[in-house]
Amino acid sequence: MNYEMTIGLEVHAELNTATKIYCGCKNAFGAEVNSNCCPICTGMPGTLPTLNEKVVEYAVKMGHALHCKINPVSKQDRKNYFYPDLPKAYQISQFDIPLCENGYLDVMVDEQGHTKRIGVTRIHIEEDAGKLLHDESFAGSLVDFNRCGVPLIEIVSEPDMHSSAEAKAYLETIKSILQYIDISDCKMQEGSIRCDINVSVCRPGEPMGTRCEMKNVNTFSGAVRAIEYEANRQIEILEAGGEIYQETRRWDDAKGQNFLLRSKEDSHDYRYFPEPDLLTIVIDEEKIQRLKDELPELPNQKMKRYMDSYGLPYFDANLLTENPGKAEFFENCVARKACKTKNISNWLLGDVSRILNEKNLVLADTSLTPEKLTDMISLIEKGTISVTAGKTVLEEIIFSDKTPDQVVKEKGLAQISDTGALLAIVQSVLEANPKSIADYKGGKTNVIGFLIGQCMRQSKGQGNPSVLKELIEKQIQQKD
Amino acid sequence: MELFEMTAASLSEKLRSRECSAVEITRSVLEQIGKTEERIGSFVTVCEEQALAKAEEVDRKIAAGEELSPLAGIPVGVKDNICTSGILTTCSSKMLYNFVPPYDATVVNKLKQADAVIIGKCNMDEFAMGSSCETSYFKKTKNPWNPAYVPGGSSGGSASCVSAGEAVLALGSDTGGSIRLPASYCGVVGLKPTYGSVSRYGLVAFASSLDQIGPLGRSVEDVANLYEIICGNDPMDATSAVREYGAFGKKINRSVKGLRIGIPKEYFGDGVEPEIKTAVMESVDKLAKEGAQTVSISLPSTDYALSAYYIISSAEASSNLARFDGVKYGYRTKDYTNLIDMYEKTRSEGFGDEVKRRIMLGTFVLSSGFYDAYYKRAKQMQQKIAQEYAQAFSQCDVILTPTAPTTAFQIGERTDDPLKMYAADICTVTVNIAGLPAISVPCGIAANGLPIGLQMIGPKFSEQMLFDTAGCFESLCGGFGVAPSVKA
Amino acid sequence: MQIDIQHIAKLSRLSIEKEKVEKFQKEMENIVAMCEKLPPMGGGYTAVDPTNPMRLRQDEIRPSLKRDQLLQNAPQTQAGCVVVPKVVE
Repeated sequence: MNYEMTIGLEVHAELNTATKIYCGCKNAFGAEVNSNCCPICTGMPGTLPTLNEKVVEYAVKMGHALHCKINPVSKQDRKNYFYPDLPKAYQISQFDIPLCENGYLDVMVDEQGHTKRIGVTRIHIEEDAGKLLHDESFAGSLVDFNRCGVPLIEIVSEPDMHSSAEAKAYLETIKSILQYIDISDCKMQEGSIRCDINVSVCRPGEPMGTRCEMKNVNTFSGAVRAIEYEANRQIEILEAGGEIYQETRRWDDAKGQNFLLRSKEDSHDYRYFPEPDLLTIVIDEEKIQRLKDELPELPNQKMKRYMDSYGLPYFDANLLTENPGKAEFFENCVARKACKTKNISNWLLGDVSRILNEKNLVLADTSLTPEKLTDMISLIEKGTISVTAGKTVLEEIIFSDKTPDQVVKEKGLAQISDTGALLAIVQSVLEANPKSIADYKGGKTNVIGFLIGQCMRQSKGQGNPSVLKELIEKQIQQKD
Repeated sequence: MELFEMTAASLSEKLRSRECSAVEITRSVLEQIGKTEERIGSFVTVCEEQALAKAEEVDRKIAAGEELSPLAGIPVGVKDNICTSGILTTCSSKMLYNFVPPYDATVVNKLKQADAVIIGKCNMDEFAMGSSCETSYFKKTKNPWNPAYVPGGSSGGSASCVSAGEAVLALGSDTGGSIRLPASYCGVVGLKPTYGSVSRYGLVAFASSLDQIGPLGRSVEDVANLYEIICGNDPMDATSAVREYGAFGKKINRSVKGLRIGIPKEYFGDGVEPEIKTAVMESVDKLAKEGAQTVSISLPSTDYALSAYYIISSAEASSNLARFDGVKYGYRTKDYTNLIDMYEKTRSEGFGDEVKRRIMLGTFVLSSGFYDAYYKRAKQMQQKIAQEYAQAFSQCDVILTPTAPTTAFQIGERTDDPLKMYAADICTVTVNIAGLPAISVPCGIAANGLPIGLQMIGPKFSEQMLFDTAGCFESLCGGFGVAPSVKA
Repeated sequence: MQIDIQHIAKLSRLSIEKEKVEKFQKEMENIVAMCEKLPPMGGGYTAVDPTNPMRLRQDEIRPSLKRDQLLQNAPQTQAGCVVVPKVVE
């Protein structure tokens, strides 16, 4: 039996403001436990929240990026529940009047650059909770309040996605927008983006099924696994004649399974009500417009431009625009007009990415500059060095101040294209390999690759392969 | 007259003319505490050491010829729900029996900057929930006029210490009448300021949208001077009004010529004792003789105010008091098997019954399915009441009512009937609901020998007008003072 | 109105002793009855007041509290943290 799945996502992104949302404590990850805390963010009696202006601005920017209606008048509400990482026993959030509503996001769904529009229900601001540490040597849990009051935006989508691939594309696009407008560090390993996932399944043409929510999915690949798992779980129940109950489940990525957290009957009664310690948030039209004008070119626009004006394929455009740092580097390379655009893309997405991934770095962590990379590529294009030598040059220039020219000189990497100099090498290789000549003559022309390789070895990698090929062919023919 | 009986204004005068020292004033008050405290029980904590140190500092400043604030060297009691750095702040609850804040409330900062002497932390109804000071975990404060009677609440200790000469001035907090009611019961002056005019930072919240810190004293000028020190915008309190305030104490104009006094008929109904109505109307007559006009007005929704008040204040309280869970500060139960068990036992053992009732009422009115019928309706009623006041203030400048329908009641008299206890707030809650300022001044003595309070209500930020009117009335009465039982 | 006092107590993280349930139940019902006097009112209610906008705080770092001061009131601490019974969720 065929089933269709429906997915809605709630993305929580930590904002990279200097201070927390309701107090002046530093907003930073990785500090010593309970060192970025004050009476306000730890909910001490008598303390009061004061809303960080930047948090409102960042949320409005995201609202613009997702084509939302910005509410010039909004408010904050208390969401009440008891938990040790929530020191006030309520989270200040937004209930019925969020800062941004009714937006959408166009997500690329195939390699031809076709897009699908995913509705964005709302974006609201709220505070993060602290962290519970579990100490094996101890019977209790430890509470670190550092993360209390770190500003979050929650982006709630419409249930418009119907495959895990669509959900992943949506998540990746959201992440890249957050990076482009520079409001979140988006460090998955630090938990700065997390999502809750709603999944339901139904037979095609039938009304939407009962949904289940999965909490706290911390990676995008985890989201894909969680969606697939949950859809299968629901389908299995339905196939066995069972019924889906609305419930909240916890995704365990390590086990690749989810577990019942609470059923609908046990769902929290959050007792939302307007936060009496804060007044109405009023943003004037001028400021709303200014924040819109400040938006940079967003990843989808950029990707389309790369495909249209640089003639790059979707694969390249998509990866190059993944984050603003990479895109900027690429565009600076292109602007030098020193080499072919496609070659820049190939190198950036090929060897440069490989080196970065191996060392878990980003471009900004290296000494590579657009000048150095394009100079190197242009040496290859001009035939001064081989592609293989280019890789050696890259390994050198990416972590040092050396220029490609310097490396080529120091390592003697310049290609020999002079036929006179190469002829002796070719002749000695042919003399040593009479069987290969026979093979070649017998029709196995691909032995030429082996012979070129032998010549390259003798020339210590400096022989120009295409010149060598020509010489070998000529010499064999002469031996007839 | 002993130093402890005098007003801040006259003590400040004596300090300036070097007739006495700040240490002498503080010692006089501490001696009075030594004499009366066992009988009255105004304080949870008496800060003898810090108080004397501060008084010595003030004397040094005087000797150095420094400019002094009108409150310099004046002993002030501070309600025990106002955070004082390094000094126990309990809210008169077992829940915070050992809580020492690492920070000062904004008003405490201001007191310190004005060189006031913090003499002690005043007893109160637990978490400011009550009208009699009987729900305190530590002790029941007595009325200095007659120790068989309650001092009123919730700022009972703040009113009793001023009335008993155990402090010259005090800070209280008022959510539904908690400054004005005890001021009325103890025969002192108490101001509930306009919502937003005094910072709430450091005031342990009961109902955030209604709470306001205010001064209590034995003269209108003293109360005005203390208000002048504590009011003002505070960037730490987002609900604090952004505006400039002038000097209040010096500017008091004790004249009511041309003042239009509104008399709302709803405040003179059957629930109000006849002798209180008489005392209030006689006071109105006195002011009329001074040139004020009286206008009959109506505040028709007054009957609904108590319901709206209990819904809104309990809803907010249920959320505000959720943080007391035994995790970060205060009381934690001794034996527990898991987290939920720790929460439930800590809160059940740490809170008294009245606090539990309010938390449960607040939880109920906010819970799924009941929000619209209770909380939303109460907030609509709040808007209606505010509109009725706005309408009334187009006809009059100030509204006069009794502060309470009765004089102080006996200790234990109402503890078994919450609704009877709540009725004490009937004349005061609308003021908090509408965010208005109101002052209570003594206006006579009832047959039982206990003081009667007169409430003057003004439009938002009309504190100066209230001081002028109350000041005029005070002059007509020949001034107020400490309770007769403690007179030297 | 019948109040489910045990449910409300649970939501409030309070436990009511058996012998007090009836008393609380009755008191609560009386209080709720008083609150029910509020008439239903036409028209909507919005909790926003655009005429009284909030001042926002500048995003400037202020010093945090020293950890020993932060934890000075905590009933149980270990390794610079507050300790609670083991949380399973």
